[in-house]
Amino acid sequence: MIIRRIAPILILFVLASCSSRQSLFVVLPNADGSSGAVTIETDQKSVLLDHPYAAGEVRKGVAAPVQVDQTQVQQIFGNALAAQPVLPSHFVLYFEKDSDVLTPASKRQYESVFDDIKRRPVYEVEVIGHTDTMGTQPHNQQLSMSRAEMIRDRLVHDGINPKSISVAGRGSLDEAVKTADQVTEPRNRRVEITVR
Amino acid sequence: MNFTNRFWHTAECFAFILAMLAIAGSSANADNSQVAQIKTVSGQAEIVRNGARAAAKIGDPLYEKDTIETGADGSIGITFIDNTVMSGGPNSQIVLEDYKFNSSDFKGSMLTDMNRGTVSMISGDIARSTPGAMKVKTPTAILAVRGTSFVIEVKP
Repeated sequence: MIIRRIAPILILFVLASCSSRQSLFVVLPNADGSSGAVTIETDQKSVLLDHPYAAGEVRKGVAAPVQVDQTQVQQIFGNALAAQPVLPSHFVLYFEKDSDVLTPASKRQYESVFDDIKRRPVYEVEVIGHTDTMGTQPHNQQLSMSRAEMIRDRLVHDGINPKSISVAGRGSLDEAVKTADQVTEPRNRRVEITVR
Repeated sequence: MNFTNRFWHTAECFAFILAMLAIAGSSANADNSQVAQIKTVSGQAEIVRNGARAAAKIGDPLYEKDTIETGADGSIGITFIDNTVMSGGPNSQIVLEDYKFNSSDFKGSMLTDMNRGTVSMISGDIARSTPGAMKVKTPTAILAVRGTSFVIEVKP
């Protein structure tokens, strides 16, 4: 008798738990509108999400595609998205031949590096120096380090916290443009700066 | 003669043990190096490290195995050393379960446990250099990431 009375309630309860969503996954567009892909892997099934706003959910341990629009994303994920840090930036500054003096164009671009750092509440700056393949390896190692240190010193002089800057020199190991040995190449005489 | 031999053998053993200790020490250091930095905090957000709980503060470092927890009004944003960006919404629990990154070749691996709440992620160098090396685990699924921006909600 009691069973009869609570059976519908039990069925409702089980139905509700069967059909309730355990997790939701949504691919978002990159700044340029493109997107990469993610795969939801469960014991039962895998679901590939490979375009902006492609979404999948897991119910009862099983993954399946689902329709989600921009408004729903904002409703569910608005707080998480609002907490997103300023995205990391990447800069390349170029140098005169066999020297730690910036080219005129890169001297101007230094200002945008500095501005980018200043707009962040906290920051970490990585400066990595490089050379072309002209000259000996020890010389280029030294030169790549001098280039990185020159940028660091300039940033510190302009008020950036030295503790938040790391420097390294890679000699001619990581060429931006592959060349033979003993070749002068303006695009390889550079520092790569990451600000995050 | 025999005595001197034994002396040198003992000395060699000592040198070997010292060298091993140095190696063990350096790898322990590598495991304890910073993997991310806290960039934004709002409301209640805490970091649990080795069982100890502390309020999350902007600028603080994060390490492998740290757990991030937010309250009903909390949110937090962090950036990893491979430039992966992650932010969590209210009532969330996120564990930095595994994080390895080599800044010379940009290769590494990353496993984040998303236990509850909401999270937004933009993948960085790890997912770019090795598609699939970045993974997020929820209680019911594993997400393998190929260079993209995505969000996850996990119901409690």
